[in-house]
Amino acid sequence: MARRSPYLITDYRSDLRLFGSNWKRFGLLLMVVAFIGAPLQLDNFWLGLLGLVAVYAIGGIGLNLLTGYAGQVSLGHAFFLGVGAYSAAWFGGQQGWPMLLWLPAAALIGAAMGALVGPIALRLSGQYLAIVTLGLLFIGEHFMVQWKAVTGGTRGTSVNADLAIGPVDFANLELFGITFTRNQGLFWLLWGVVALVALMAKNIARTRPGRALQAIRDRDVAAEIIGVSLSRYKVAVFALSSGIAAVAGGFYGAAVQQFVSPVEFGGIQGLVFSITFIAVIIVGGMGTISGGIVGALVVGALPRITQRFADYLPFLKSTPNDSGIILVGQFNLMLFGALIIVFLLAEPLGLAALWRRITTYFKAWPFSY
Amino acid sequence: MTEFLQLMVSGVSLGFTYALVALGFVIIYKATEVINFSQGGLVMIGAYLVYNFTSTWGLPFALSVVLGMLATAGIGLIFERIILRRMVGAPVFAQVMITIGLLFILQNLVTAIWGPDPLNLGDPWGVSTVTFGEVVIQVRQLWGMGLTLFVLLLFFLFFRFTPLGLAMRATAIDQEAALAQGMSSKRVYMAAWGIAGATAALAGVSIASGAASLSPEVQFYALLAFPAIILGGIDSPLGAVIGGLVIGITQSLTAGYIGDIAPWLGAGFESVMPFVVMVLVLLVRPYGLFGTPEIKRV
Amino acid sequence: MRRYRGRALVGAALAIALLAGACSSDDDAATTDTTAAGGGASEVTPGPGFDGTTINLGVLTPQSGLAAAIGNPLTAGNQAYFDRVNAAGGIAGKYQVELTTRDTEYQAPVAVTQYNDIKNNVAMFVQVLGTAIMDAVLPQLKTDGIFAGPATLDAFWVREPNLMPIGAPYQIQAINGLDYAVTNLDAENKTLCAMVEDSPYGDAGLEGLEHGADDLGLEITEVQTFRLGDPSYTAQVNALSGAGCELVWLTSLPTTTIPLMTESNGVGFAPTWLANSPAWNALLAEGDLATYMADNFLLMAEGPEWGDTSVAGMAQMLDDLAAYAPDQVPNIYFAFGYAQAWAAAQILEKAVELGDLSPAGIIAASEQIEALTFDGLLGDYTYGPVEDREPPRGTTVFEVDPASAATGFLVALEVDLISEAVKDYKFED
Repeated sequence: MARRSPYLITDYRSDLRLFGSNWKRFGLLLMVVAFIGAPLQLDNFWLGLLGLVAVYAIGGIGLNLLTGYAGQVSLGHAFFLGVGAYSAAWFGGQQGWPMLLWLPAAALIGAAMGALVGPIALRLSGQYLAIVTLGLLFIGEHFMVQWKAVTGGTRGTSVNADLAIGPVDFANLELFGITFTRNQGLFWLLWGVVALVALMAKNIARTRPGRALQAIRDRDVAAEIIGVSLSRYKVAVFALSSGIAAVAGGFYGAAVQQFVSPVEFGGIQGLVFSITFIAVIIVGGMGTISGGIVGALVVGALPRITQRFADYLPFLKSTPNDSGIILVGQFNLMLFGALIIVFLLAEPLGLAALWRRITTYFKAWPFSY
Repeated sequence: MTEFLQLMVSGVSLGFTYALVALGFVIIYKATEVINFSQGGLVMIGAYLVYNFTSTWGLPFALSVVLGMLATAGIGLIFERIILRRMVGAPVFAQVMITIGLLFILQNLVTAIWGPDPLNLGDPWGVSTVTFGEVVIQVRQLWGMGLTLFVLLLFFLFFRFTPLGLAMRATAIDQEAALAQGMSSKRVYMAAWGIAGATAALAGVSIASGAASLSPEVQFYALLAFPAIILGGIDSPLGAVIGGLVIGITQSLTAGYIGDIAPWLGAGFESVMPFVVMVLVLLVRPYGLFGTPEIKRV
Repeated sequence: MRRYRGRALVGAALAIALLAGACSSDDDAATTDTTAAGGGASEVTPGPGFDGTTINLGVLTPQSGLAAAIGNPLTAGNQAYFDRVNAAGGIAGKYQVELTTRDTEYQAPVAVTQYNDIKNNVAMFVQVLGTAIMDAVLPQLKTDGIFAGPATLDAFWVREPNLMPIGAPYQIQAINGLDYAVTNLDAENKTLCAMVEDSPYGDAGLEGLEHGADDLGLEITEVQTFRLGDPSYTAQVNALSGAGCELVWLTSLPTTTIPLMTESNGVGFAPTWLANSPAWNALLAEGDLATYMADNFLLMAEGPEWGDTSVAGMAQMLDDLAAYAPDQVPNIYFAFGYAQAWAAAQILEKAVELGDLSPAGIIAASEQIEALTFDGLLGDYTYGPVEDREPPRGTTVFEVDPASAATGFLVALEVDLISEAVKDYKFED
């Protein structure tokens, strides 16, 4: 008898497996090696950048559940990051709670705020929802500015929250007698959280709730008819996505920036921040968990890479007085826009779909499908 | 009383500005059912093109405005032809995000060409004013109101009496049926983007006229106009104007009186008041005051 | 069985990676250690941003985005001063200065990323523009022990050991401006009001105004605030006009000043506006608002009139401008950037004298230098240990003259005014 193809999925159990094939297990191994080894090999700049990328990835995974899986468009994601950042500033900084307390508090507050927005999504659809969540950015910024005791008003506040699990302080990591830099320690913390959030999201996405969300995305009326409670799932996914965003925001405040002000999370800057997360999932892949991570890497790192190579690209200039046509910063923002357009035109499901196509090609070789 | 009237004048003028910006949104939404986030970018580049024609090339102002409208309409056409045409049938979310991508490109193209400093548009209105009783109105505000009403009239005539306008309405109602009647949806889409571009340039002129008012920030009026279009119902030109007026007046009166009525709401509440009104209205009427409800077919 | 093997593999990978890490982090420690040791009297030991011949300085400034209108001339000012230094042989006559400029886009996360990009390659940051950006970078500056020059006139920076503030803070401008109004504009018999931005900048202006009003026995009748980017200022103008304001303190940026002046001119509201220096843009004097501005607007800034070559610092700047930035039009931000680079050069000279150009050495130099001086371009700033630092307290009152293009349309009414009220103003944390 011919050997059964390892790629053929014949039962529900194997469909649910996270790392079903040997290749996937090998990939996991590579990721673990990269996770442990990257901080030891990369310089401080790249580690700092990867810290920000980790925040993009966590927030991107949260947004992907909402937008990629459940099809709810939100421009208000930055607001929930703000909620998380200020929860970290207040509980972790002012009240001095340890990370294992302030982080869940941030997630819960974010989720509660998200649950408040959820019912609006029941009432409105598509683009109207997008505009209302845009309103949330402006209204949210106003109240953040007013609540001076927590937010520091227009100026903002420093976030001195604890980043330790028990005796292991990731901001001043010392293991086996070796002292690591702040960015090294935080890399392990942040990317560890990325892994946990990804695992949790993957578990939600591949089981009943995930399928319910996709049913809502594809046709909400049909979903309701087959027994998916729209109200329950829409509110739940808003809460979940906002809770994850708040976790991202907590780390954005406590680990990456250490100082945050309301303008970052609201109004026009907040809109740009929200769009960054949408770009992350578009580039990485809507409706895939790994897409959030890959997209974050591309969106976060690309501007810095063009900057590094600006000297070799004659049309770019680093300062207004250099020769060249366009400043690197302006070029990067145009590139950001172009990236969104090109992906939606050419590969609407992002790099994840591209990757899947490539691997399928090799798996099925010599057959074309 | 004078204070109230002055606030009303300011609110109405602001409202007409929002309305003019909103009309550009409406025409694209009516034809394609997409909220065009790049409208603010079109407003911005329209204003800068007019500046280029008056101040750099030294053309008369009226001619510059017409050229600016044509050029911006051309940009709209190019966007539609090269990019959005390929997205027909794609999920609405994807189309909206494409327009956001276009916004980023337009914004930075403009600052790369004209720089970040404020400029004088070169309009003939300057800071001159007209007085009615105790109320003072800037000439540029009057022109802004007049232009908005003129564009609204054109929109009305266009939709009512031209074959293209009819085709646009038909396409908006049912694209396939319109196609079956021999109406080219391609022409409709291109026309919508062209008209939106021309309207945007006019809105840009209205915003950037006066002393040294042309700056990259002109684009943000498009964001501020969102409550107006949503309030009025996004596919209704008349709704856009009414929504604009409601929002403009609300904003102006809030700025004037909120400090006395509800100081606990904090300074600057007028900036968020339009969004508060928008959210409240949407919760009661999910398709705005004059919008067409979307009917879900199973 | 298979699962266990997988786990063992992961374990092995972990062990290898940790071993590799132990080596590489040791290397890092070794390289950073050498920089801590100070050099001899004649030769300065190379360190971050200093290879023994060239000193590299960082600039974090908005080149794109809305604040670029401020960042670009300011950076040009930085560069013009260092061009002068390099032409004269460099710092201490032998070390050339180079600038590494990074675009913050005026966004905090971008600024922090850019900071991390260049912090190991610069001896100090000569310019970090914007209060929000400075706040975002400051925690890291402290952790890394690096010195930086904030390009804002906020008073927050006076007692920060990692920072190099220059110029009189916004509060000083407000207090002196009020004193000028009492002496020359009969302020005691006029209705005093304020129109300030809802931001740290606005808070600073208002704080100074309140201190001044207290000291001079004046009452502030009406305070109006606004948000940056508000589309209309009718309500505020109405309120100010309704309260009968005759003197209005204004803390704003040109984005607001221009429509605000248009609106006020339109409705015939003509108080005397007294404004913090960043409110100004030369376009205000070029267009249709020129007459209104000339009649009703006074700007509180620092230093001499543009082009007043009787002041040595101004003469020197204009020479350098002609030599190194001939296209630059009169611009207060250019002058600030020039002075900022001048301040950095003084601290670097001191660090060379002390034989230590490491970041720690530069901070130590800033604590040992007695004062930063600008030959009158800006007021002298008393340095030394942070607790002894004293900003200059002088303000120059300018009026608008649309005919005076050579001075940037600003003509000095009173140069370097130091009021009694300003002398007891305390800068705390």
